[in-house]
Amino acid sequence: MLHKKIRLLALAGGMMAGAMLTGAPAQAEPTAEMLANTCAGCHGTLGQSAGPASPAIAGFPKNFLKTVLTEFKSGERPATIMDRIAKGYSDTEIDLIAEFLSKQKWGVAKTASVTGTPINDELAKQGEEKVKDCVKCHEDDGKKQDEDTPRLGGQWLDYLLIRVSDYKTLENYPQPKKMKKQIERLSVQELEAVAHYFANQ
Amino acid sequence: MSNVTRRNFIKLTGGVAAVGLASGLVPVRARAQATPHRVVIIGGGYGGTIAAKYLRMADPTISVTLIERDHNYHSCPLSNPVIVGLRDLKVQKWGYDGLKKHGINVVHDTVTEIDAAKSTIKTAGSLSFSYDKCIVSPGIDFKWGAIPGYDESAAKELPHAWHAGPQTLQLKSMVESMEDGEPFIIVAPPNPFRCPPGPYERASLIAWYLQRHKPKSKVIILDPKDDFSKMPLFQEGWKKMNYALEWVAGGQGGKVTRVDPAKKTVTTDMEEYKSSAINVIPPQQAGKIAAIAGLTNEAGWCPVNVKTFESEKHKNIYVIGDACIAPDMPKSGYSANSQAKIAAACVVASLQGKPEPDPSYVNTCYSLIAPDYGISVAVVWKFADGKITKVSGGTSAKDASAAVRKQEALYAEGWYQAIMSEMFG
Repeated sequence: MLHKKIRLLALAGGMMAGAMLTGAPAQAEPTAEMLANTCAGCHGTLGQSAGPASPAIAGFPKNFLKTVLTEFKSGERPATIMDRIAKGYSDTEIDLIAEFLSKQKWGVAKTASVTGTPINDELAKQGEEKVKDCVKCHEDDGKKQDEDTPRLGGQWLDYLLIRVSDYKTLENYPQPKKMKKQIERLSVQELEAVAHYFANQ
Repeated sequence: MSNVTRRNFIKLTGGVAAVGLASGLVPVRARAQATPHRVVIIGGGYGGTIAAKYLRMADPTISVTLIERDHNYHSCPLSNPVIVGLRDLKVQKWGYDGLKKHGINVVHDTVTEIDAAKSTIKTAGSLSFSYDKCIVSPGIDFKWGAIPGYDESAAKELPHAWHAGPQTLQLKSMVESMEDGEPFIIVAPPNPFRCPPGPYERASLIAWYLQRHKPKSKVIILDPKDDFSKMPLFQEGWKKMNYALEWVAGGQGGKVTRVDPAKKTVTTDMEEYKSSAINVIPPQQAGKIAAIAGLTNEAGWCPVNVKTFESEKHKNIYVIGDACIAPDMPKSGYSANSQAKIAAACVVASLQGKPEPDPSYVNTCYSLIAPDYGISVAVVWKFADGKITKVSGGTSAKDASAAVRKQEALYAEGWYQAIMSEMFG
């Protein structure tokens, strides 16, 4: 009888009342905003990074963010710190974080002090000559982003240089076949020049 | 007994606002339009600036005043590289104009009184403020005299450099002018204290400097403790870098019993050390205003409800950052940032008459062992079983490659720029 009542309450949307009746402790359920705001100390307010090595993540497609966070969590994606952090969230929480960040506007924060590797115009120019195959997917000078393609145009240079180094030195770095082919085709120096080009967009 | 039924209440407030005002039954929305809620924040560091900004982001109708003594802020995180010439102090210096752009009323003054019963605040500059909610983020103060011989005037001779700024530069010139062969002595503080890995990062970077410029010198850390933050990683790094660095643990006579600023000596139970280069990081407590306002316990720190960061001593006052007791979050800049966002969200919810949201806590903290050698700790917590409960996290791996250590040094810079843009952008 009591059980039936509880079920009815739950059906009517009275989930809280149901939990109170059964005496079950309420599970802490932080909101998407509460969860995603904890990223900002490293990735900038609303994911708009101030660089030079933390990538901007604002406005990235939800499924892309979800994939990356899930790969960090499982250990499939090599990481220095994000593996330890991603393990702190349930799949539902990862979904909420990805959803929240995907709704933010792409951008990078401008700060008073500038540190990190400066963009080299000469290298950026050399990079431009090598991006013909890159921009087949990373369209619009790398500014495009969709479920499989993270934005590169205007991303922080030191972050892109770290990615180049990882792609060239770490085995089994998760990446699409097309990407792997291009990474193998270009030398480290050429890829670094490409990084300067995309960072300059 | 009130005769106001739900139906009557709606009729009253909908029809004649004055009746609502007279009877004290003011609907939340109407009140927000008439007189905005007032939140006053004390302290413009890692906690206070974030609380101010996130309050305005969540509800721009709230009137937010930030009271901060200084016109400029010098970040302690990444100030250790300044001491050894790896970084300019200018990169550590920030101003409050960015916060003003968020509609925050920034007042440069020193708070001398918080009257929790009247919800009022007074300053040294004879200003007074009323608040609906007050967020206190005063950082730390030193327990002068806790180490015999080390008082405020001794700190002029033997700098602590545990507030960044002029003391940082004083320590820098001390490192530069010490004789090759003299030891550099760091007196480490007892728990709890601001920035648990900080003394050991400082020791590492000074050892790096000595290796290059004064090869006959070494760093000696005199410590009352028997372990410290990221200890296995620091010790691995010291060995790998082949540093001239000696850590004297509490159990091995590391506890300092007296310092003499005139003679430039430091005494322990076992030995007397003499050097022109002595850095004393004294025992600590919550920033002074916390004690004045009756927010501290007998140990000098502020007990809070760790779900909301509201003080356990006074209602409507929240304490965040180094000053509050929030086990097992360390007293770090990122903890203060995380706590500020939780307190801000709880203040907004409370002012809007909504239930306080469930918190999510994070700390990330980088330390440099050398310019290209970074290590980190990262922890995610949630609120469970009535306390801050760890979900995941830990330190960087031992035996990581040089490439990983270099990346972590780069990410330390990313951490710094992001958190500064959060605070001042």
